[in-house]
Amino acid sequence: MLKRKPISTVLWAAALAGLVAAGCGGPKPEQTSQPSESAPPAEGGSANRPQPTAAGNKAEGDTLKIGIVVPINGDQKPWGDDALNGAQIALEDFNRQGGIAGKKIELLIGDSGSNTEQAKSAAEKLISDGVLGIIGDVTSSSTIQIAKSAFEKGVPVISIGATNDDVTKQGANIFRVCYIDTFQGQVMAEFAYKDLGLRNVALMTDRKQAYSVGLSNSFRKHFEQLGGKIVGEEFYETKQTTFTGQLTNLKAKNPDGLFLSGYFPEVGPIVKSAKAAGLNVVPLGGDGWDSKEILNSGGEAVVGGVFCNHYNNKDTRPQVQHFLKRWREKVGGIPGTTMAALGYDAMAVMLDALKRSKSFDSKSLTEAIEATENFPAVSGDITLKGTNGNPIKRALVVEVRPLPEGFVMRKAIDPKDIGK
Amino acid sequence: MAHAAGLSLLASLDFGTLPSQVVNGVLNGAIYALIALGYTMVYGVLRLINFAHGEVYMLGAYTALFVSWAYGFRPDVPPDQLPESTLLTLLVMMLASMAVCAGVGVVIERFAYRPMRNQARISSLITAIGVSLLLQYGGGLFLPQNPPPTMNERVNPYRQTLELTLVRAPQELTTAVENARQLAQRSEAAFQERLKLEKDRFNLSPEGERLRDAKFEAERQLREAESRRNTAQVTVRVGAGRLAILVASLALMFLLRQLVLFTPTGRAMRAVSQDFDSAALMGVNVDRIVTITFVIGSALAGAGAMMTATFLGTSISPYYGVLPGVKAFVAAVLGGIGNIPGAVLGGILMGVAETLVIWAGYSQFADAVAFVVLIVVLLFRPGGLLGSSAVEKV
Repeated sequence: MLKRKPISTVLWAAALAGLVAAGCGGPKPEQTSQPSESAPPAEGGSANRPQPTAAGNKAEGDTLKIGIVVPINGDQKPWGDDALNGAQIALEDFNRQGGIAGKKIELLIGDSGSNTEQAKSAAEKLISDGVLGIIGDVTSSSTIQIAKSAFEKGVPVISIGATNDDVTKQGANIFRVCYIDTFQGQVMAEFAYKDLGLRNVALMTDRKQAYSVGLSNSFRKHFEQLGGKIVGEEFYETKQTTFTGQLTNLKAKNPDGLFLSGYFPEVGPIVKSAKAAGLNVVPLGGDGWDSKEILNSGGEAVVGGVFCNHYNNKDTRPQVQHFLKRWREKVGGIPGTTMAALGYDAMAVMLDALKRSKSFDSKSLTEAIEATENFPAVSGDITLKGTNGNPIKRALVVEVRPLPEGFVMRKAIDPKDIGK
Repeated sequence: MAHAAGLSLLASLDFGTLPSQVVNGVLNGAIYALIALGYTMVYGVLRLINFAHGEVYMLGAYTALFVSWAYGFRPDVPPDQLPESTLLTLLVMMLASMAVCAGVGVVIERFAYRPMRNQARISSLITAIGVSLLLQYGGGLFLPQNPPPTMNERVNPYRQTLELTLVRAPQELTTAVENARQLAQRSEAAFQERLKLEKDRFNLSPEGERLRDAKFEAERQLREAESRRNTAQVTVRVGAGRLAILVASLALMFLLRQLVLFTPTGRAMRAVSQDFDSAALMGVNVDRIVTITFVIGSALAGAGAMMTATFLGTSISPYYGVLPGVKAFVAAVLGGIGNIPGAVLGGILMGVAETLVIWAGYSQFADAVAFVVLIVVLLFRPGGLLGSSAVEKV
């Protein structure tokens, strides 16, 4: 017995180390419930979302309270900061244009701290403080928690950046201003097949991220529908450092494109090792690529890669130009992430609905949001009428170019032009 | 049934990539081995599992990153304004990482482990976990992590890929590739010519689209031909940077071996690991030996961290050391913890096992295999592959 003692200590230690490893992680923006197999499309559809039964909040006096929940601390802070600044600019713009006669709009800020539990409690605090509606969060996992509380209380939510298909299924008072993963997978599949002429694409999926798994599935489905072939799919995990094994396998399948549905911290190094492994492919991806850091981590190999995004600073639409001008005045420079524009849009849609609202309570506000049609937002025109909370709006295909160019917009794809 | 399933699995394997994958595995394993040495040396001398070792590794990666920034390889600099990197740059980075890690290792030993040395072993173990968490979350307060930074690839002057063809393809397949390539080049040229007349290359005129599709078709034929040729030949492809990792790791391991076997310090180290108290009675300065052990183990982790950060270019965060730390620890146990050649063997074995699982098409289980191998080995050899199963005085 004595002789085994050190080994059992060692094994316990191994188990402990495993727990430690499982317990901490870096940015895991979109850990959500399992992605659904057959999500309804963004456009139309009549899936029955449950109606909230509670009445929600009512405005008292001349102050209309709106809440925002974003990560002001933690891993996702860059996204949260951008979204909050965007929302505040939208509020200023609304007041400059006259606001709502005789009423003052107050913005209450909640910090989700980059984690789902805190997002939920921040939302509950705002609801008990009497907000008519909530904006947030930037990620799917947090938004789902916010949506659960808001559904119970009957307060409408407009999410900023939650792309997971399941988010708006929580209830009929949950909306968003971004597109959904099913749509961006389809956009990239069409772009890869038609504009890039790719036929044999390989997938690299981060199996720890529901976002990545869902996006890969959507891309696979639509690319195969078009007649393309998925020659192989390999898996990795967030924080993994070597990918040569997977890439050597894919090299043998001789793909002409590589779809990387994960987040930029892994995508950059994977693209770099893919080039070293002899893969001559066009790298493709989703909005998880949206950080300038990918240019550094991917180096020369990521140049020429294309991904799907919500918004681009180089867009020439008047709304974008106005937004950039206001951003320069208030924050300075240009926004670092797409969440700035989406934060602005979420706030703008909320305020527009508030203005049209029959009376100042959560129920009327929900109805007014539901009636949003062709709202000219920064990231594209938004329609929420009869769409189950998922806006019909365009997606941008963006190409990665060397600095100082950075991300260059290649094509804006409208939902009505797709799937033909 | 089992027979048929076995056959279908066999049929799905691609033996052409096997040599490549074994090489990949050895290269990955060299890094595990380098980190595992730190665990095994500390365990050998102190009977303590230094859980903070992965965090020392993380600090090594940050040090290398900061040195590269000091050299001017900052992420916001356009590629044409970056300085040239040389072997000297890499050496300075490596030495800086090794020095910082050695310092951190000594501080941890002096202030966290030494006060616990005469306490029950479980106290030291818990202290080690505490130090590990302190460095992870404390590091989160001071170290840049938003967004997770990565080393600029230009820091690495060896970016080319080396190829070694083991079995050549028949001549006619190679000629077919050449013919297809010429056709692809011609249609590419025609398309480029047309592109000069087009306004936007993503919204082409019908003629432009025709030439584009012709170009794509020619490229697909080229790929097809290449694919046929590649299946017929067996090639091993290695990035020069990864080869540099292997060479440097082997050199460091050789130095360590010489030090342990042929110097008075090495002899004292072996004596302490055999019997702590008797070594002290024989005039060995035990505290000094323990400090040296931490210096060497931590410096090796620093070297490993600098190399992974530079040559593999994955993003660095305060949790950078967690996964490599756990894997290297498993490698150390696998080889027989406390045994230096065992750590190297365990590391390489794990690297190869993981890559072979990926090769067989089960990349989703690659991380689990390390632990399966560990359990299997410990069932048959409780002391690890090269570990001693001698009765221990407790």
